[in-house]
Amino acid sequence: MSDIKHYIAPTTLEQALETLALGRVTILSGGTDLTPQVSVGRRHFEDTLMNIRRIEGLSQISMQGDEIRIGGSATVSDIRYHDLIMKYAPLLCETASHFASEQIRNAASIGGNICNASPAGDMIIPLLVLGASVELASWTKGVVQTRRIPLDEFFTGPGKTLRNSNELLAAVIFKKPSADFVGFFRKSGPRPALEISTVSLGIGGEMKEGKFQHVRVAMGAVGPTPLRGRQTEAALEGQKLTRTIIDHAVLAAQQDASPIDDIRATKWYRNHLVAVFTEELLYNVCQN
Amino acid sequence: MSEQVAFQHIEKKSLIGTRIKKPDAPAKAIGKTRYINDMVLPQMLYAKILHAGRPHAEIVSIDTSEAEKLAGVYAVITAKDVPDLKLGFVKDNAPLKGKVRCERDEVAAVAAESEAIAAAALKLIKVVYKDLPGVFSPEDGLKEGAPIIQERFPDNKSLRFEFKHGDLEQAEKDSDIILDDEFNVHYVTHCCMGTSCAIADFDHNGKLTIYSQTQYPYNYKMDLAPALGIDPGDIRVIQPPTGGSFGAKLDVYPFEPVAAILAQKTGRPVKILFDREEEFINSPTRQPAKMHVRTGCTKDGVLTFRSADVLMDNGAYTSWGPTVPVIMMRTVSGHYRVPVVDFKGQAVYTNNAYAGSFRGYGNVQMTYATAQHMDMLAEKLYDDYGLDPIAFRLKNAQESGEVTPQKSFLRECAFAECITTAADASDYVNKLKKYTAERATDDRYKRGIGLASSIHNAGGAKIHKSDGCGTMLKVDDYARVTVITGASEIGQGIDAVIAQIVSEELGVPVEHVTLVNNDSDLGPWDVGVHASRTTFIAGNGARRAAIKAKKQILAAAAKQANVTADELDLRGGYVVQDKDGAVVIKLDRMLRQMHFQPVPDVVMVSDYYEPNSEPEGKDHISDHSAAYSHAVHIAEVIVDTYTGEVKVEKVTMAQDVGRVINRMGLEAQMEGGLAFGLGFALSEEMLFEKGHLKNPSFRDYKVPTAPDMPELDIHFIESDCAEGPYGAKGIAELPTIVIAPAIANAVYNATGIRFFNPPMTPEKVAHAIWDKKRTAS
Ligand SMILES: Cc1cc2nc3c(=O)[nH]c(=O)nc-3n(C[C@H](O)[C@H](O)[C@H](O)COP(=O)(O)OP(=O)(O)OC[C@H]3O[C@@H](n4cnc5c(N)ncnc54)[C@H](O)[C@@H]3O)c2cc1C
Repeated sequence: MSDIKHYIAPTTLEQALETLALGRVTILSGGTDLTPQVSVGRRHFEDTLMNIRRIEGLSQISMQGDEIRIGGSATVSDIRYHDLIMKYAPLLCETASHFASEQIRNAASIGGNICNASPAGDMIIPLLVLGASVELASWTKGVVQTRRIPLDEFFTGPGKTLRNSNELLAAVIFKKPSADFVGFFRKSGPRPALEISTVSLGIGGEMKEGKFQHVRVAMGAVGPTPLRGRQTEAALEGQKLTRTIIDHAVLAAQQDASPIDDIRATKWYRNHLVAVFTEELLYNVCQN
Repeated sequence: MSEQVAFQHIEKKSLIGTRIKKPDAPAKAIGKTRYINDMVLPQMLYAKILHAGRPHAEIVSIDTSEAEKLAGVYAVITAKDVPDLKLGFVKDNAPLKGKVRCERDEVAAVAAESEAIAAAALKLIKVVYKDLPGVFSPEDGLKEGAPIIQERFPDNKSLRFEFKHGDLEQAEKDSDIILDDEFNVHYVTHCCMGTSCAIADFDHNGKLTIYSQTQYPYNYKMDLAPALGIDPGDIRVIQPPTGGSFGAKLDVYPFEPVAAILAQKTGRPVKILFDREEEFINSPTRQPAKMHVRTGCTKDGVLTFRSADVLMDNGAYTSWGPTVPVIMMRTVSGHYRVPVVDFKGQAVYTNNAYAGSFRGYGNVQMTYATAQHMDMLAEKLYDDYGLDPIAFRLKNAQESGEVTPQKSFLRECAFAECITTAADASDYVNKLKKYTAERATDDRYKRGIGLASSIHNAGGAKIHKSDGCGTMLKVDDYARVTVITGASEIGQGIDAVIAQIVSEELGVPVEHVTLVNNDSDLGPWDVGVHASRTTFIAGNGARRAAIKAKKQILAAAAKQANVTADELDLRGGYVVQDKDGAVVIKLDRMLRQMHFQPVPDVVMVSDYYEPNSEPEGKDHISDHSAAYSHAVHIAEVIVDTYTGEVKVEKVTMAQDVGRVINRMGLEAQMEGGLAFGLGFALSEEMLFEKGHLKNPSFRDYKVPTAPDMPELDIHFIESDCAEGPYGAKGIAELPTIVIAPAIANAVYNATGIRFFNPPMTPEKVAHAIWDKKRTAS
């Protein structure tokens, strides 16, 4: 902990990015991943600790054209109770309500959840279902540069992403879902509160004339990164959700998942939950 | 004032059974309480301990020279600095180790100006280890040629306990049903909110003041002294507010002498405070146990015998953990009437963590077995012989006046009332039948109901030479009362109870009673907070002292008023006429008049209460507690048969509490005790792999959270214990003991599957259900 030489809390994005460009910076948002990881020695602080919570506008949630934009330092609580999100993407609110506890939700940011890149990061799952992209900002040649990366390409391994060290996650953006969109999220752990997902699953798509379309399936804690369930999506795309189709989807979901044994659960149990949740969420879709 | 109330009459009003607020509750709730963890003394140094982090090894060499050179480091110590110092139940432990026997072993310690410097210094200590083959289960420890853990115990056998009563062979012949199962109870730990902490400070006369979280300050001196090589008389124990104990602080553990040795060496106060990970790895656990239990019964539903063969993982050192058979065997021989008993318990040294005492003390483990066996018998007797499950239990339930094979004398026994009260309140029998019938359906969610019960000592347990408690009480010129008691307050609420009792006797407001009980130089002796004993023992002591004070005051008042003392009483801060409450004199005035006279009559009394129990004894045949109590829990659960999640919806509790003293404190003990048992039953488990703890964090060690708590329907049965204060019995452990098997029985009712190896985690339950389906199809 004593390695921090400078602490700064910029108020503008420019200042933050300029600092970041200098190198050896640790970004601090809610600190709910960072601090425990540092205290158990899994990572170290760089010379400069930069608190990004005071950057103006970075926690804003807004509609821009047909896109919904959630600022990188918006907290899980901000998202949970935001009118726009409740109206257009209740799936995110539902996920937020299963996230940690009140105290943690008030501190934990969406940017932190994504950049921490845990295979069990809960908010990532509904964002994958919504087809979100991340917007990365950097200070390049004296100006703010941004680039967008689809979230399903962003993760490269546990704790690893395509973000460069001079980039800040400025926002996560997704197209406003159509009126026909239905989406559900499910996570599991032995406790009703404060639980890291043993398995999490999200399913969403448009239900048009009884057929499930533009289906996206996302899974957490069943692989090295949060992942898209491509085979499950294929099994469902354009289909009526009959018993047979659901059975196919359940089998496909178990193909998509590649869990391992760890102290929280065995591979068997994770696979079992993938099957249970897939069926359960598809049943919810049918009920909707 | 006294003029205004001259004609007032004060009615007799009892506080017993009312709700008394815990005096320190507001300060704790708003974060104002200064716990030991927050304490800073002038010139204080911070110590950190280097733990071995490997289960079994020789220490080839230790080089501390770099650590010593670090600026801000005041002392570095290793085993060679403390060669002859010993601690522990059989003195097999030491403050610092010359050989590694478990992961937590203390190899070196540093005192420095700050925690950060101490931590940095630890990293500079170079230790060369030679790893040795380890022993990680008691079975392996007993094998021929197993590695030896403790040189003094070459067969790795630690403590052994036995109790036999009656003719087992005959009893087996007389049985129509014999159950024979192995129950395997796992490792859990206390998870006190306040992590372990000690601050040691020597004065110039060589007297040690130790600020400690201990729950037994007087014997603590005796146990700490040989670990320091000083006289127990030279130790003063101060107990600042502590963030929980639950048995974890009923022994001396190495960090405490280490702090003291460093204080001695540096001449400065030294503080050791664990972080959460250290707390998980370096504090005691509950004693795990493999319990081979057999229960016999006739077809009429009469128990014929019970036998238990218990194998315990002693871990590397012997603390209180492996002594739990003392309580286990009382449950085997006394939880329901059992004419024939055969109990064996053997602890075996291994390179695993070691257990201490923990709320429930062996009974959490044993009741998990006995209460499931009772349920299994109840089912069989109903299915095969049509016997009602409640009738079966009532038939075997002990009654007042019975004496168990170990000579526990059940003077006031309300077991049957506990059973019927809980069963009626929860509609147990109807639900049991309904849910059994629903088991066969395809529904995902299954309901279940389960009943469990147990017995526990409720008037202390005489395992020391005395189970007593001293009390000193003074009433000052302002009618304010100070009670100096030996009883420790570790959060359980004796502060409220003693104030309530003294207030009851002396007729002063509860807030006018001050408790002093945090300094061993002031307080008289007490054996400690354990064995559900404090309200019973210290409550009796406080009451007896208050009665003495009352007698003294009333004698003086009677003389003055020219009446006899028994015509007077103390109520509402006044001396009054007993018959109609007519005010005689204000109490503070009376006290000043007693004080300021040629021969002063000052109210300072003392008492030492020794309960009428008998010493445990080597053969375990003794009435070792002054009271015994029973409790029944009925748990109602919903099992998600797909995910395996068990949700405990409601628990109906009926417990013989003797008499309710502080209702609020009692309810809190029921709720808190149940939460402990809930975690043990469903989610808490220390996961060890070759002696290494894999989940030393709250992320992966799952204590229940608030939403896990079920609805509680609590029934207090008042059996009016003759020896207890106002009839009260000790109550604090039974709520932890009984809940887990009640849940296990409910899960069985829901799923048809028995779980003999807690915790019943979602994965374990889901797997068992899946397995059952698979083998059925
Ligand atoms: C008790 C507890 C319970 C939890 N429960 C859950 C749960 O239920 N579900 C769940 O998913 N997680 C849970 N977490 C994990 C954690 O709270 C979340 O991942 C949270 O979203 C992290 O956000 P943060 O703002 O605290 O991130 P921080 O800890 O501040 O940062 C995390 C990482 O991201 C980087 N970072 C943060 N913001 C940015 C940015 N804008 N641009 C670039 N890099 C950035 C940081 O440098 C750091 O590497 C829990 C944590 C705790 C302590």
